[in-house]
Amino acid sequence: MCQTHSLSCTHLINCGLHLLSCMCLVWGRMNEQICFDNLIHAFPQVKESTSVQQVLLSACLSCDGCVSEDEGQRISQQNLEEINRVLALNKKCDTSKHKILVVSVCPQSLPFFAIKFQLDVPAAAKKLCGFLKSVGVLYVFDTTVAASFSILESQREFVQRYRRKHHDSNAMPMFTSSCPGWIRYAERVLGSLVTPHICTARSPQQIMGSLVKDFFARQQKLTPDQIFHVVVAPCFDKKLEAVREEFYKSILEIRDVDCVLTSGEILHLMEQSKVTVEEVHSAPLDHVFGETTDPGMTRHEGRGSEGFLEHIFKHAAKELFGLDVQEIVYKTLRNRDFQEVALERDGETLLQFAAVYGFRNIQTLVHRMRKGKVPYQLVEVLSCPGGCLSGRGQAEGEGGRPDRTLVQQMEEHYSSLPVRLPDTNPEVQRLYQDWLDGHDSPHAQQCLHTQYKIRLTV
Amino acid sequence: MKGALELLQRVSAHADACCWYVAWNPAGTLLASCGGDRAIRIWGKEGDSWECKSVLADGHQRTVRKVAWSPCGKYLASASFDATTCIWKKTNDDFESLTVLEGHENEVKCVAWAPSGNLLATCSRDKSVWIWEVDEEDEYECVSVVNSHTQDVKHVVWHPTQELLASASYDNKVCIYKEEDDDWECRATLEGHESTVWSLAFDREGRRLASCSDDRTVKIWKESTPGDGESSTDESWKCVCTLSGFHGRAVYDVAWCRLTGALATACGDDGVRVFREDPTADPEQPVFFMSAHVPKAHGQDVNCVSWNPKEAGLLATCSDNGEFAIWKYSSDS
Repeated sequence: MCQTHSLSCTHLINCGLHLLSCMCLVWGRMNEQICFDNLIHAFPQVKESTSVQQVLLSACLSCDGCVSEDEGQRISQQNLEEINRVLALNKKCDTSKHKILVVSVCPQSLPFFAIKFQLDVPAAAKKLCGFLKSVGVLYVFDTTVAASFSILESQREFVQRYRRKHHDSNAMPMFTSSCPGWIRYAERVLGSLVTPHICTARSPQQIMGSLVKDFFARQQKLTPDQIFHVVVAPCFDKKLEAVREEFYKSILEIRDVDCVLTSGEILHLMEQSKVTVEEVHSAPLDHVFGETTDPGMTRHEGRGSEGFLEHIFKHAAKELFGLDVQEIVYKTLRNRDFQEVALERDGETLLQFAAVYGFRNIQTLVHRMRKGKVPYQLVEVLSCPGGCLSGRGQAEGEGGRPDRTLVQQMEEHYSSLPVRLPDTNPEVQRLYQDWLDGHDSPHAQQCLHTQYKIRLTV
Repeated sequence: MKGALELLQRVSAHADACCWYVAWNPAGTLLASCGGDRAIRIWGKEGDSWECKSVLADGHQRTVRKVAWSPCGKYLASASFDATTCIWKKTNDDFESLTVLEGHENEVKCVAWAPSGNLLATCSRDKSVWIWEVDEEDEYECVSVVNSHTQDVKHVVWHPTQELLASASYDNKVCIYKEEDDDWECRATLEGHESTVWSLAFDREGRRLASCSDDRTVKIWKESTPGDGESSTDESWKCVCTLSGFHGRAVYDVAWCRLTGALATACGDDGVRVFREDPTADPEQPVFFMSAHVPKAHGQDVNCVSWNPKEAGLLATCSDNGEFAIWKYSSDS
């Protein structure tokens, strides 16, 4: 008997291991470790395949209310077996079941591969692309372009909120919306105290989903269901994001993102394929337009989480006060995951932003929200201490804490890339026209913005 | 050291409900009680008897499980099954609700103030232990959320002199926490009890920790110093004594008197017991013997025992039947 859950382990094996991880999800982080360990000892032959399936959601998603059993099951189905299944179907004669495999890689995942491959980030990206194509993936994209949209829309929305702050009490502070763990926690636990403050701009992953299944599909004369869209991400929370209801076009049973795999899972796929880095032929990444004059790999501002705070800060300084900010100075408050940034002129504080990462700091933020004592106009909120590079899909070390050395190396690799502001990216501007019919069109609103549903569990 | 417990007063504190916990203020002049009726009552001595001075009735939506006084005596914290912890400020004879700490997912089982007065710890059925910090403006902020236990956390207690925290859980373990870098983490796990650990108490210097359990025993743990012959791993606390065979049912609470060193226990067999340490025993292998025992101290389970911090031998206990009792312990030594 599994002591933790009073369930027969045999029963669980019979029902499939994905059911195990899904049930463990519902009982929280630590319990999944215990149950998993019990299972290992009971059935040693099971160990190898399940080590990859261990799902490590962030602390924001660890309570019973945040992830339903159904979602838990669909999260655990996003695994290497799923990819192998799609690849296997592609080899069979029944073309009606063939899918075009598209992989979108998060820029946060690339430094992980850079370290594992012992290459710089651009070279590692090409190796990763080459490997994916060698197993049957047709297109490999960098989701930076989607993040650019998310940043630009967040910038715009911030300025709009700022300008209406005197007659809209929900305008300020604005909370960023890129982190699915934070969003889910806000919707299910925090409710209306917080949700009206969350930026409506969709996250990079959500926008990438639309970009691939809407724009790219049409470009390639494909229907959305003919594409199997995989996202490579630094964390497991993004698996939950992929199964989020509204991105499920229920009539057609199509998802914008079919499967999220973590950086660690992709590395495991390479290990399973018994291929070495040296053996892999590098291939350049693809672009949604098909052809492009490749300017080389660039990154956004900030320290690895797309720099929403930094971009919005610079944009707002310029747009609202006519100030050009070159360098951003951070003030660390109670711990390194709670930092402040201020814009001052002649002794007056014009803007005060904060970056709040990790469950304990989110609690402090929420506590202050309840008391009406949040001085910030913008808060960048992330579930994971250390930001996205520290995601549990790539930075998990001993005892469930991030591997600090690995994270530091990833940060260095990330910083080594040149910065390009999304405002100056011609590809993005072209997409606004060709894909969305302009910045303010209904199509833009539909593809780039979302709504938050409060569904309190208590 | 044969001793005796003399009943001084019995008070029906929480009508038609359990009295879950009693706590003396640091001056030893007031006793706070809390219970299933969702209220907190403050009792003070008028002449020879204990009278109700205040009722804090509107702070919680569900049972109040524990109360704790701040080291300065000006604040009272209450932990409730409604998932919140309320901080009350005492002004003259009145208490007003200063702030409500939210965040636990479900029932808060315990709240404890650090001796410095700057930190507060809470624990919950949600398996987590939270550490909060108070600043000069009476603002509370979450410093850490630690998930070391795999089940309901029943109790938290601070070390008397160091910034060190201990927690007890339904998972049969005791965890010891210290601040490392800028976060709190579990530094040692004390295993040995065979069932839920209900409560904990440090001795006066904090060199030893007493734990009591559903397994009907009380264990004494001691931190082994380097050079004891044992390798220093994170298992640096060793069980040096187990009191077994004394309690008929689960031991729900244990209290270690800072004045006399006497150990009192609250038991599910309705009894209250006092243990003394044999002064001739090897400090590395302490021996405790039962000095006093009241078999039917209350009509139902005894939930809590609390030694008065200023008056040696004065003991408060409370029970599922809604009453608390004040006892005088005396021994012939």
